[in-house]
Amino acid sequence: MRDLKYLQYLEDLLQQANNKLIEKAREDGKVCVAYTCENVPEPLLNLDGAVSIRLHAPNTGSMDIATYYMTNLLCEPSRALLERAIEGGFNFADCVITPDGCTMMNRAVENMELLHTMGAGNPNFFHEYMEIAFKNTQNDVNLSVLQCSNHILKPLHEKYGIDISDAAIRKAVAEHNKVCALIRAIGEFRKEANPRITGYEFHVFCLATYVCPKYLLVDILEETLEELKTREPDAKNPWRARVLVVGSEMDDSGFIKLIEEQGAFVCADRFCFGSYPGREPIVLTEDEDALTQVCRHYIQHCQCPRMMSMDKVYGRKQYVADLAKEYGADGVIYEQVKFCDPWAYERTLGSSMLQLDFGYPVLSVDRPYNIASSAGQMRTRVQAFVESIEIKKLQQRGGKA
Amino acid sequence: MKTVEKVVNPVKRAGEQSPGKIYDEKLKVRRRREWRGVKDTFYDYTRWLYLMSVLGRFIIVPRNIKGFFRYRWMMSYLFVPHGMDKFTVGLRDEALRIAHTSFNFVIADVTQAIANCFRGDRRVGNDKAYSDKCVITDENSMVTFMMGFDTDKVHTILREVPTMFASNIFHQFNVMHYLDVAQLNGIAGDVCPMPEAEAGISIDDDFCVLGSCAVQNNTTCDGSLMGNGIIAKRLERQYGIPTFQLATPLRHKEPDVLEYAAEEIKQAIAFVEKHTGEKWNWDTYFAAAKRVNFATKCRIAQMEINSTPYPQFFGAAFSLYNDTNYMGNSGRMPAFVDIDKKLLALAEQGYKAKRMYAKEYRHRCIVWGVQPQYVIDMLYWLVQCWGVVPLTDMLSVINTDMIADEDTPENREQAYRDMAMLNMEMIMRNHTHGGYKVLLDELWELCEKMNADIVMMWEHMSCKALTGMHGMFEEQARERGIHIMWVSHDLCDPRVFTRQAIRDQVNSYMRTVMREEPLDPSLENIPDSEAY
Amino acid sequence: MKKLAKIPLIALLAVLGFFVVTFTIYFFNLDMKATSLLAPYLQKWYDKMEHDHYL
Repeated sequence: MRDLKYLQYLEDLLQQANNKLIEKAREDGKVCVAYTCENVPEPLLNLDGAVSIRLHAPNTGSMDIATYYMTNLLCEPSRALLERAIEGGFNFADCVITPDGCTMMNRAVENMELLHTMGAGNPNFFHEYMEIAFKNTQNDVNLSVLQCSNHILKPLHEKYGIDISDAAIRKAVAEHNKVCALIRAIGEFRKEANPRITGYEFHVFCLATYVCPKYLLVDILEETLEELKTREPDAKNPWRARVLVVGSEMDDSGFIKLIEEQGAFVCADRFCFGSYPGREPIVLTEDEDALTQVCRHYIQHCQCPRMMSMDKVYGRKQYVADLAKEYGADGVIYEQVKFCDPWAYERTLGSSMLQLDFGYPVLSVDRPYNIASSAGQMRTRVQAFVESIEIKKLQQRGGKA
Repeated sequence: MKTVEKVVNPVKRAGEQSPGKIYDEKLKVRRRREWRGVKDTFYDYTRWLYLMSVLGRFIIVPRNIKGFFRYRWMMSYLFVPHGMDKFTVGLRDEALRIAHTSFNFVIADVTQAIANCFRGDRRVGNDKAYSDKCVITDENSMVTFMMGFDTDKVHTILREVPTMFASNIFHQFNVMHYLDVAQLNGIAGDVCPMPEAEAGISIDDDFCVLGSCAVQNNTTCDGSLMGNGIIAKRLERQYGIPTFQLATPLRHKEPDVLEYAAEEIKQAIAFVEKHTGEKWNWDTYFAAAKRVNFATKCRIAQMEINSTPYPQFFGAAFSLYNDTNYMGNSGRMPAFVDIDKKLLALAEQGYKAKRMYAKEYRHRCIVWGVQPQYVIDMLYWLVQCWGVVPLTDMLSVINTDMIADEDTPENREQAYRDMAMLNMEMIMRNHTHGGYKVLLDELWELCEKMNADIVMMWEHMSCKALTGMHGMFEEQARERGIHIMWVSHDLCDPRVFTRQAIRDQVNSYMRTVMREEPLDPSLENIPDSEAY
Repeated sequence: MKKLAKIPLIALLAVLGFFVVTFTIYFFNLDMKATSLLAPYLQKWYDKMEHDHYL
């Protein structure tokens, strides 16, 4: 296939946590709101005058200093972020908003705060920590509204004069939805039998929408969508199998690339930093305030394993099965970053249920933050999985190739 | 660095001086029991007889025999006296009595809990009428939401206590099987072994099956929250027992989470009412609230005694009693009040007599972090081997606020907030969660208040909340001139750190950093790592 | 009458006998030693049991 026009540009951009688009946003006078978890309602961080930047640490190598502070027993993403913060990689941030979602990420940010890694010379810089919902109930919506109000809206308004009115939230949601719609439309091409976009390419575009100011990406996404409409896939379908990747925090496009290098097309993404559920447009009505509706949307669509009620526990597996069906997946790869507690359990239960209850072949793996540090092992696992799917297909066809 | 005044014990200990001699490398139990002088040996003997009578009364019931042969974790039942001995090594006088009074009560309580489990268990007693009035709760959970249910009408079944928690206290290898089951089924080996073992027990079908419903909680950590899903799925889908997930906010010091937590308590109560058919009784609640306040007053008094040069409360037996009283009881059972009174009277007597439990006290220590007091009794060892007095452990530093205990219309609303507050401030999570201040700042405040010069920091290698602050502990201790002694362990998996490997970390610190010799060299190396 | 007089003596001897036996068991940790001999057989018993593994 012909290269996508903006792929190289975004690949280069994603090599840095503090990328050129963030610099551009700062030049535009935007307040950079750093955050660390999918459970923070993004539109509230993108109110007029502010942009959300999800922290990531591309090309992580040594994490020695962060390991001193947090030991080698914490997950690599949390240590990688702390290391990057200590190195000064997140100095663009005007504030950091952290939900107490998983313990390790929370600790990473607390260390950042205690070590004063950010905010030098900015008297308005602040850290905020928020409680997030555990279940899908009205009580949880109430909690979320209060938390967002106290720990996002009020400090943004008081410190930076950001407009936090209902109209401002509605405007931010509309802009958020525009990006979501574009990403979803681009992702739709993955449903094709011989798809015109790879899972890797899609992940690069999707990842950019989390770690770059969204308003600077709209034109790029629109142009890419147009480009895809006429993009011709290779005549011969190169893929041996279609897989759905499910799991924990994933800001390493190299992992998706590695899977696809083994012949498995990543047809859908259900992980933190992915398009499911993170790029689900938010539907607002006029009969209720926007903040409550945004909070309810995040609770209802949340697929984070931290949601503990059993409707959510069962619902997460059903969601994966539905996605697998919708995107025609032959198998599911459940991945977790090593030492991640929530996904250690979710991966176990999910792998079991997707196989036994829904009949999908499942590869269940843990992985490092940067797949480059352990590519050989992962390649072998994926190769074996692809072969097992092929054998199953062969058996289903009565042994005929 | 901060130093504290050394206190020398003018009184020679009665009986043998080196309890390290009672261990034997070849045996998996102690060679013999300790000679504590005539008076204390006789007392210890009578307590042993009492334990035997508790165990005997339990096992003569036919369904309990059936349960014994059905459940692997019942192996620990046989080792109860062995476990009790672990918590009394080197003790004399009031300390011995405090250990026995507190822990014998816990043992009797747990034995009753097992009997209750077997009575309702579909595989053992199968008493359906009884089972229908039972509510299963997590082991690591406050049972405040049960405070207003009459204990003779609704039975709170903490089925994970005998299965995992107590089982591990008496037999250090007893939950390894369940960890293996969990890991064989795909759960990673790096998560906390406690919820992992509980998940393993569920996967292995080794929990008693009873109850009209179950209430789970996200109390201690991400692992605890996540393990619940596996357990609840089996309860709901295989055994048809409905479950309720009681969400407990993590940032418990923030006032803007309290209403949410209170509403969760209301919903949990409504869930229990619906499934048991019993009603919440405010008289019962406020009577329990009075007992909670009494226990809180006692705890404050205990801390005051331990802030003096002659602390009287230490050791795992006492802290386990405190845990049981605070969490598993939450004021529901009047019997705890008498024990509280007795314990406080013993401590006051010991304090007046300036009783010491080692030849000298060289250092005053706060024990922080998540402790493996199930497999090892480190705290008595610490004072007797090295003269380091453990003033309190993190799990014993719990709520000191009083709750509303008079029945008024306002207090009925306040009660939900009080239950929620207690639930959020459950042991362990009240320091491991809720922001770094409750973990770091409160430790240094405690060091100041209790005049401690050392912190023994349990580094539970799977507890991410603790290890995530490792560097900060180091730096802040250095700034304050406090010694910080790291002791790694893996909670209930002795394959990762054996008992001696745990002790050796203290031995190394005391010899190389503090340049000290042990008070009792017979305790420096104890061949008990392979013992039950 | 003589028989009645013996009762306290018998009771005393019984108590003494009980004390000697139980104290010997207690002091030499015979209860736990016996348990530790029994434990491997129990372990085998539990290992042999069939369990319905369910996730």
